[in-house]
Amino acid sequence: MDIDDLLAEVEVDSVPQEKRDLQELTRAWVAERVAPELLPWPESLMDRVLIRIRHQIELVEDQTGNMDPKANFKLIIIQTELERFKFLVRSFLRARINKIHTHPLHILNGHTEHSASALPLLAPSEYQYLMSHQALLSQHYASSFLSQFPASLQKLDDTTGGISMIDKPDEDAAVFCRCLRDVGEILVEGTDIRFEMTRGDVYVVRWSAIRGFVKSGDAELI
Amino acid sequence: MYGETGNKLVQHAKRTQALAHLPPYQTEMVRAVTREVRDLDKDVASILEPFAGSFNPSTEPATACALLVNHLCMRRNKRCLLAYHRVRSDKLEEMCWAGIDVLERQPQPQSHKPGSEAPTMGTDSNSSSLSPEEEEYVRQYSDLLAAYKGQWTDIDLTGSLEPPKDLFIDVRVLKDAGEIQTEYGAITLTKNSQFYVRHGDVERLIAQGYLQRLS
Repeated sequence: MDIDDLLAEVEVDSVPQEKRDLQELTRAWVAERVAPELLPWPESLMDRVLIRIRHQIELVEDQTGNMDPKANFKLIIIQTELERFKFLVRSFLRARINKIHTHPLHILNGHTEHSASALPLLAPSEYQYLMSHQALLSQHYASSFLSQFPASLQKLDDTTGGISMIDKPDEDAAVFCRCLRDVGEILVEGTDIRFEMTRGDVYVVRWSAIRGFVKSGDAELI
Repeated sequence: MYGETGNKLVQHAKRTQALAHLPPYQTEMVRAVTREVRDLDKDVASILEPFAGSFNPSTEPATACALLVNHLCMRRNKRCLLAYHRVRSDKLEEMCWAGIDVLERQPQPQSHKPGSEAPTMGTDSNSSSLSPEEEEYVRQYSDLLAAYKGQWTDIDLTGSLEPPKDLFIDVRVLKDAGEIQTEYGAITLTKNSQFYVRHGDVERLIAQGYLQRLS
């Protein structure tokens, strides 16, 4: 353990939970916007953030009648903060919905695989949305033309004939990432490139190569 | 020729992607492609009939090739149709998110030009550019969207995706919008007046074109 590690530990402990949540939310937001595939739903973080937003909204509503200029000024600051938080959450959710739209069946498969684990891919509401959206779409296709097709061609998730109908995100897309903890040597699959990532390094690398480190928090996307 | 209509349909979809509005639904083409698929399927059945289920591709390479071509054409047509419908439904969803009432707006583009309102009342002023299935889809999708949004009441999912900079902004009223309630009392929005208001209070009105944001 060297001085950097010690410093890192001190940093984390001295920061209050609220500030860490903001940091985490921002990190999740950036990662979700940059990563080619959907990331697991950060349930506890979102719960905390949403509860705090509700508190602040209540506080603002309580204090609005107060005409004391000092309180009013404080209120403006709180409201500005609130708007920013709301923006972060909104943008985060929209980025996820966008991905759910683009690769619904792929994500659904991933979700069923992970549903037993502690980190589900989708929030319950997102799962609901995905299912009803898929139902709507297939119903729309069916009533528009698919119902008149021969029965063997009516499926939407057909994988026969060499081409899978389930669209997948490009997992080899390049992303920018910053290393937060030393992770040692990384091998980029399919190539013979090896490199060492140490704390603070910034790399442009294939998503598939560093996916595990981002999910475990050893690296962050930027 | 096999697949020609399907190809046209895809070109149509490609064009649709770049357009701001939705061009009329190509009922005829969709029907033609569907018909082609059914004809091909019948062909396949009639080719296979004499073999009575014991068809061996290696002994009859010519027939096998014909079957393969037919199958590929059917699959390709299906993909074309799916792509066409997906592009259109994506577009419709986008409009739902942007808060545009697609069903209401449909007849409008024709009566939009001043001075030429009388002649457009002719044949196609009633026809919508959506197919009945698409109208149904839009209706159900807006319900779905509303339900999903309802779970995030505090956030306002369809709100602006621009990062907020200032809590208060200057706006100019473009159209009379009546009175709105804000935390600082009621404001009457009359045309050409100017206000300094909270962004969140008037965001909706800006999106609907009642107000203009002054920078």
